[in-house]
Amino acid sequence: MINDLIYVFCLSNESPPGHIIESEGLHSLVIGDYNIISKYVSEGEFSEDNLKRNMSDIKWLETNARNHIGIISKIMEYTTVIPFKFGTIFQSEESLKKFISDYSESITENFHQIADKEEWAVKIYCDRKKLSDQIDEFSEDAAALEKQIMASSPGKAFLLKRKKSDLIVNEMDRICKHFGQKYYDDLKNRSESTSLNNLLPKEFTDRLDTMILNATFLVDKNNVADFKKIVDLLKKENENSGFFIETTGPWPPFSFISIKEKKQWLQT
Amino acid sequence: MAPNIIDQSKDITILELLDRVLNKGVILTGDIVISVADIDLVYLGVKLMLSSVETMEQLRSGNSIHQD
Repeated sequence: MINDLIYVFCLSNESPPGHIIESEGLHSLVIGDYNIISKYVSEGEFSEDNLKRNMSDIKWLETNARNHIGIISKIMEYTTVIPFKFGTIFQSEESLKKFISDYSESITENFHQIADKEEWAVKIYCDRKKLSDQIDEFSEDAAALEKQIMASSPGKAFLLKRKKSDLIVNEMDRICKHFGQKYYDDLKNRSESTSLNNLLPKEFTDRLDTMILNATFLVDKNNVADFKKIVDLLKKENENSGFFIETTGPWPPFSFISIKEKKQWLQT
Repeated sequence: MAPNIIDQSKDITILELLDRVLNKGVILTGDIVISVADIDLVYLGVKLMLSSVETMEQLRSGNSIHQD
């Protein structure tokens, strides 16, 4: 089968290393000021209909999505990259040239935004059971009510305990919001830009605790060590509190790319 | 080889990865490119869960798998 469609992985503003291009069977086209890292693929796999069909095959999708991010990550070790959405296919070099020409100002602007920065993802989970067990340490109201319960007759204590269990639910929501915001602000202060993602339900995270924050941070390379130190500090502080902080990265800067066509670009 | 803890927890990584590569980066539509439109993350999550259940069942029924 003839491989005549062009699958684009990413753009780079410097030549990508030859050994990666060779070993991965890639092409590096220079159009204008940019290098386009691509691969020739077949219609049999990547024509519009075939791509749509293959995307619903989860094994095909996983293999190819891992390959997509794997190649971009390798290139990213050597130069700044603008990553493309998985499965973006150009029909010809002409259409690729048209893309570069139509979007050149926006591409330059994006390269400027992400230069010398890394994308880091942070997820915070809350173990509500663990937090509930320590509620008196986190909530003055809960602690005060507990004191009343201890000093009350069995009958009154029973009623106050019911009152406390309602209070705990509200207090836990408040504490989660307070700490989620605090940790987010701590990390935001050490980053150039942030992006919030959807919270994933437990069925998808395969964890027993609840996700309370799913955010991405664009961090200056000079501040990455400091950013990671803060994450480690938050992790350590929260070892027993019920908050779990998970970080992954550096990712290619997927969350901080916004490409606009020239016409729209000029209008906005 | 028996499935280890990393294999069992890999779905979240795939979901996080797919959320990135399918919903972010340079997203082009129209005549200039071939690209499949938005794919719902929830739909993908369900598909991933189903496929991992299928894999686990295949592993359990497979004779070549060693039990720890």
